[in-house]
Amino acid sequence: MNELYQAIEARKDLKGKIKLIGIGTGNSDFEVDFFRKKYEVPFPLFSDEDYAIHKSIGEVRTPYFIGVRLKGDGSAEVFYSKLGGFSNAKKFLELMVKSSGL
Amino acid sequence: MTIKKHFSLKWILGLLVIFIWFSAASGQSPDFKANIFQVGKLKPTDSVLKVKVGEQAPDFTLPAVKGGEVTLSQYRDKKNVVISFVPAAWTPVCSDQWPGYNISQEFFDQSDAILLGITVDNIPTLYAWTNQMCMGSGNLWFPVLSDFYPHGAVASKYGVLHSDGVSERSLFVIDKKGIIRYIDVHDINDRPRLEVLVGELQKLGK
Repeated sequence: MNELYQAIEARKDLKGKIKLIGIGTGNSDFEVDFFRKKYEVPFPLFSDEDYAIHKSIGEVRTPYFIGVRLKGDGSAEVFYSKLGGFSNAKKFLELMVKSSGL
Repeated sequence: MTIKKHFSLKWILGLLVIFIWFSAASGQSPDFKANIFQVGKLKPTDSVLKVKVGEQAPDFTLPAVKGGEVTLSQYRDKKNVVISFVPAAWTPVCSDQWPGYNISQEFFDQSDAILLGITVDNIPTLYAWTNQMCMGSGNLWFPVLSDFYPHGAVASKYGVLHSDGVSERSLFVIDKKGIIRYIDVHDINDRPRLEVLVGELQKLGK
């Protein structure tokens, strides 16, 4: 995930247009903060201690990725929703760009 | 901190990629997760404690997954000890709890504490479970002990053996003199918070 962040930041055409956030499902603020510091995570992480977010999206297994297109009228549209991580950050970034039509 | 608060007015157009994960399990393989048996909602606790804070912790010797045996009293005057009983291998919460301790060894080190992980499973089961649990993130740094035969004898000695044969999800913090300083017989369906255990360890000092 840190590589994905760096790949976005390194692209002038994408920097500022794609943002990453992480949601630690079942984790407390303390646990998420510990994780963020230990693994030097450069993007925002949020705790979902009571599984409220996890339940609202259908109690998915983790890791799970959701891509959301933010529109000018304030609405948002999910363009990617899939279980599982990735092994190549640059390829995943290209997938996000292509899938979203950014 | 809410997501809405953090991001309000920051973005007008663009993409948001949301990564949902469980922190301690981030390095676990899909194979491991696919093999976790879903137990459903269980009775929160189902035993009567036989020990109290302030008492001497009952001594025991159990076989370790990595070979040999571990005796609680071998740590006397050397290490504080945290005993983590978890109900069973290959079940959901247990498969998150120990990976959490595995990535937070520094909290145990800071309090000069060793962690002993115990279940009522046999050694081959624990071997397979812990090996796959940590695939991609190194081995467990703490001993994993089998309380399989006589079945649940140590769990029973502490009063944390469920009537269905698994142990309670329970934590015992024991100081270097062998005195029990903290007990948490937790809801079996829920993972104890790391910060609570860290707080109890910090009370021990070095």
